[in-house]
Amino acid sequence: MTVSTSTSNKTQSYGVQSTGPANIVEIFKFMRLTIIWLSIIFGAVWGACWLFGVVLPACVEGFGLPAEISQTIRYFVPLVAIMVFIPINAMFMVLFERRALALFTVRKGPNRVGPDGLLQTAADAVKLLLKEDITPRGADAFMFTLAPIIFFAPSIFGCIPLLAAATGDHRLFSIANLPTGIFYVLAASSIPVVALVMAGWASNNKYSLVGGLRAAAQAISYEIPLVLSLVTICLLAGSLDVVEIAQQQVGGFLHWNILGAGKLLAVSQASPITFVTAPLLAICCILLFWLYMTGACAEINRIPFDLPEAESELVSGYNTEYSGIKFAIFFLAEFTNLFVVSAIATVMFLGGGESPIPGFLDTGFFVSVMGTLNSLLQPVPALQWLLNSLVDPATLSCVFWAVTKIYLIVFFAILIRGTLPRFRIDQLMDFSWKRLIPLVLILFLAVAYLRELV
Amino acid sequence: MFGLLARSIESLYQVTRGLKTVFQHSFRQPITKEYPDRMPDLPGAFRGRLSLTVNPNTGEHLCISCLQCERVCPDKCIQITSHKSPETNKPELIEFKIDHGLCMFCGLCTEVCPTTCIINTNDFEMADYTRESLVYDLKKLTLTQEESAFYFSKKELPLPKPKPAKPAAAAAPAAAKAEKPGQPAVKPADTAKEDKPKEGEGKE
Repeated sequence: MTVSTSTSNKTQSYGVQSTGPANIVEIFKFMRLTIIWLSIIFGAVWGACWLFGVVLPACVEGFGLPAEISQTIRYFVPLVAIMVFIPINAMFMVLFERRALALFTVRKGPNRVGPDGLLQTAADAVKLLLKEDITPRGADAFMFTLAPIIFFAPSIFGCIPLLAAATGDHRLFSIANLPTGIFYVLAASSIPVVALVMAGWASNNKYSLVGGLRAAAQAISYEIPLVLSLVTICLLAGSLDVVEIAQQQVGGFLHWNILGAGKLLAVSQASPITFVTAPLLAICCILLFWLYMTGACAEINRIPFDLPEAESELVSGYNTEYSGIKFAIFFLAEFTNLFVVSAIATVMFLGGGESPIPGFLDTGFFVSVMGTLNSLLQPVPALQWLLNSLVDPATLSCVFWAVTKIYLIVFFAILIRGTLPRFRIDQLMDFSWKRLIPLVLILFLAVAYLRELV
Repeated sequence: MFGLLARSIESLYQVTRGLKTVFQHSFRQPITKEYPDRMPDLPGAFRGRLSLTVNPNTGEHLCISCLQCERVCPDKCIQITSHKSPETNKPELIEFKIDHGLCMFCGLCTEVCPTTCIINTNDFEMADYTRESLVYDLKKLTLTQEESAFYFSKKELPLPKPKPAKPAAAAAPAAAKAEKPGQPAVKPADTAKEDKPKEGEGKE
């Protein structure tokens, strides 16, 4: 064997890897995993809602009890939906993130536990729950226990108004809606930073303390562009009610707030001034969306803004000393927060549960499927009743689109995590105070004028 | 102001390019090696567990008890027991022990071995529960005929010539000492030395 043949062998063997057949198998497995887990999650949530919204009230009324009791049971539906949804969803999102990152880094990801790694995070959760719960010596035990609870609680009660928007104001969820919905959501989502400082302080560990203080500094800096961008959208929509904002965006993607709330359509018939202002408004809204996503990434401490838990500098930041179930709660809340900010982005910018297909192309797929199923089940009235009580085509379409959009945003966040390196702390502060906040103030003024001019 | 605008547009473009590159990675074949399920395809020059070969054709043990490996071993992990055979007046192997707990897999012993008897196999799964069980004796070290044939072909070593018949050796012990162990022995050692670095280049 000569040297030349050996080098040619080398290049050949590397060449096979880089230009080999497209990675269809892994992508297919990733899609399959997503679809299976999403159907498990939403099957469970849907079933729980059906139980509390339809079956139990019907039973109560069947026993001849007063209608107030059945109505009270119906009030529990949003709460039950969230309580069922959060743990399963966090498990899925961890797996989703790990598999997606594996795709981006040319790996396979977890594929051992259960069929094709489907149960990996379930096993992780069991492991975390069975682990010893340690409180370090010198720690403030009360605060140490309270911190994960305070961190987790806002992600439960904070996203309740979004449920109404994501289900198209379904009658079981409309009680969850507030006239000042987005204000409430933002207020709730700024509580967790207190918990981070608490966790850092109570741990009696310098890394935790630095992590907690960094979290506070970062959250204060990035909340301003985040809130101002949403305020600008509220200004554009003229409402703080999330359901109303979502319903204003009906009729395809051109009506979404990210493209100027349908004002772009005015270009076709209106005066020459609209010809300039409508595209400008759309550009402003796209920038606002980008600003919102940046602020949200920083708010929930995700890469590239994960300074509070930068593992190369501060072991693991504020949760260094946590183990067992408290760590699990921190973990759960972090992923739920990612879901919540994606849901806010969906409702505020991407039309909530509204279909992205323009009205004139909309074929009413879900309605026609329901009609077919109904006619098929005509001979069995019991099954037909079950189907009609279980499935409402309008809500199904809403939930389908909302979930698709939310998980696309989550996927994008994972893609950003796989691409961008971490900021330095001074760059982080500069970026917020010197760049984002002036930009968002300019955009606020621009939108305020442009919405009148279009 | 204008410079700032230009720079921010430029940086946005660069970030988008980065995102695109990372996304395109998901269409590449994963480079994950699923090790316990699929054994890695190791090159012949891989330095794993030490073993003693036999002649793939005749099944004779190739060790001639020259003690070169024992002498060259930097860890002193090889221990050879031999005695002078009363019939042939040549050293005869009784026991061969290698302490794999001490061995650092430098491969010096395989390089000096005149008969290519001691070799590094491709086996690397030798974890054990005690230190004592890492000391391999002659029985544990000696490969079967098929295994020897496999490693001779994998490492592209020339096959050893069969040892000459016993009566001839017994007849002329003095001449045999100079010729017979030397003649077949030196050649494969030389060729092996030449082959090894090339193999390493070609296959890794």
